Amino acid sequence: MFVKCIGALCILSASMWWSNLQIAKLKARVQQLEAFRLGLRLLAAEVGYTATPLPRALGQVAKQTEAEGVSAFFHVVSHNLQEEKFSDAAAAWLAAVETMRGRLQLEAKDWMVLSRAAAGLGGLGRDDQLKQLAATEALLAAHAAEAAANFTGSEKMWRYLGVLSGMAVVILLL
Amino acid sequence: MMVKDWRKHILPFLPPPVQSILTALEPAAVCRVEEIRLRAGQPLILETNEGEIFLGPEGLVADPGPAYRVTREDLHQILLQMTEFSLYARDEELKRGYLALPGGHRAGFAGRVVLEQGQVKLLRDLNSINLRLAREVKGAALGLLPHVYCREKKRVRHTLIVSAPQAGKTTMLRDLARLLSDGDERSGRPGFKVGIVDERSELAGCYQGKPQLDVGMRTDVLDGCPKAEGMMMLVRSMSPQVVVTDELGRPEDVQAVEEVVNTGASVLTTAHAYNVRELIRRPSLAYLLENGLFERVIILSRRQGPGTIEMTYAGTSLAEWLQTEEGNVC
Repeated sequence: MFVKCIGALCILSASMWWSNLQIAKLKARVQQLEAFRLGLRLLAAEVGYTATPLPRALGQVAKQTEAEGVSAFFHVVSHNLQEEKFSDAAAAWLAAVETMRGRLQLEAKDWMVLSRAAAGLGGLGRDDQLKQLAATEALLAAHAAEAAANFTGSEKMWRYLGVLSGMAVVILLL
Repeated sequence: MMVKDWRKHILPFLPPPVQSILTALEPAAVCRVEEIRLRAGQPLILETNEGEIFLGPEGLVADPGPAYRVTREDLHQILLQMTEFSLYARDEELKRGYLALPGGHRAGFAGRVVLEQGQVKLLRDLNSINLRLAREVKGAALGLLPHVYCREKKRVRHTLIVSAPQAGKTTMLRDLARLLSDGDERSGRPGFKVGIVDERSELAGCYQGKPQLDVGMRTDVLDGCPKAEGMMMLVRSMSPQVVVTDELGRPEDVQAVEEVVNTGASVLTTAHAYNVRELIRRPSLAYLLENGLFERVIILSRRQGPGTIEMTYAGTSLAEWLQTEEGNVC
């Protein structure tokens, strides 16, 4: 009986861990999208107020962005530009998208928006560059709002699902 | 004449094929280069003080046929390298058609101009780049100094240096600024506080705000600032004894010169023209000469190399400017 109880506890713990993992992923997407928005706003400030060239501007943004994966993304773009391995800033940005795709909790549609942000990066005058960054930020804001709603709506569902699916397995095994 | 090897400043911006061609250039040719001309689909040309040189993958070539052909992609890459992949960071300079580079060199651009409300918004689809190499010739203006500096009154005369393009005006003006700023204890010439308004980053060759060329130890440089506004800013903030600026022409520049002269500072400046007669055809400059605001006009040419002093004039009225050739220096 004692062994059965231990086994049931293990199954319940595992199913709750799995459900918490799903919740964490949903939460991480919201946080990362918000961090990208903040990063783009910081980049716009570097472009608009001090006209700092991209390699240094992106380095500054990487330092000021707290979310680890997002900070790493900006750092990778900055590094790519400093290494001069890429023909332009757009190529360096897209390479960073590919590098970081598996490391962040963003969905394909989020990456699509970030990939589109590469178009014209560094190749526009100041006003147009600011407009382009603002457009990307607005799209990410919509995605972040959708992700936040999704998180709020799904959090309870995943918690219940974790506990109930664990209990169902335990009952079946008993 | 001291000519620095420009390649360490210029090569990092160039595409690999052009880099390797210029790296293999022999030192004697390096010293003679004044401009590097890159035009899309056209041969790579070096402009030297002795004429054009065509360059091919194997070095100097006699005619354009085997010369390296510059591609549009080469030009695009050069622009991206010069702007650190960030056109927005240098768009004010690009609107004026040039970029300042390290070492005091400059890149001029031509291509399709995008306008917005009649103003240049952006230059795109580049079709040529002209790399103008800064030539810092220390001591070049020693011959001009007796015309510009009045030893008895220990003051600098309001002076206008005039020449056709590429006759050494800017080089002379830069060296004059350095000589007046540093002074010379042995000859008893004091050092003056010099203020330079360098609208196109040609005089001091500022790169990221730092002068790349020697303009003297008592010199303050206002880089990238419109001349008229800059002259008044300098007078108000830096109390210069000598205000130096290049290529006078617009009516507002002339008005600013008049104001600076009235503050007691001396003005050294330049203008494009072949002689005084041509100069006075420009109403704004004629006004300055007619009202005796300049004490000396110096005409330069390339007759015996850039910076050849053709004539110096002194006068207080248009008639005098047209008739008087200065014979007695102070």
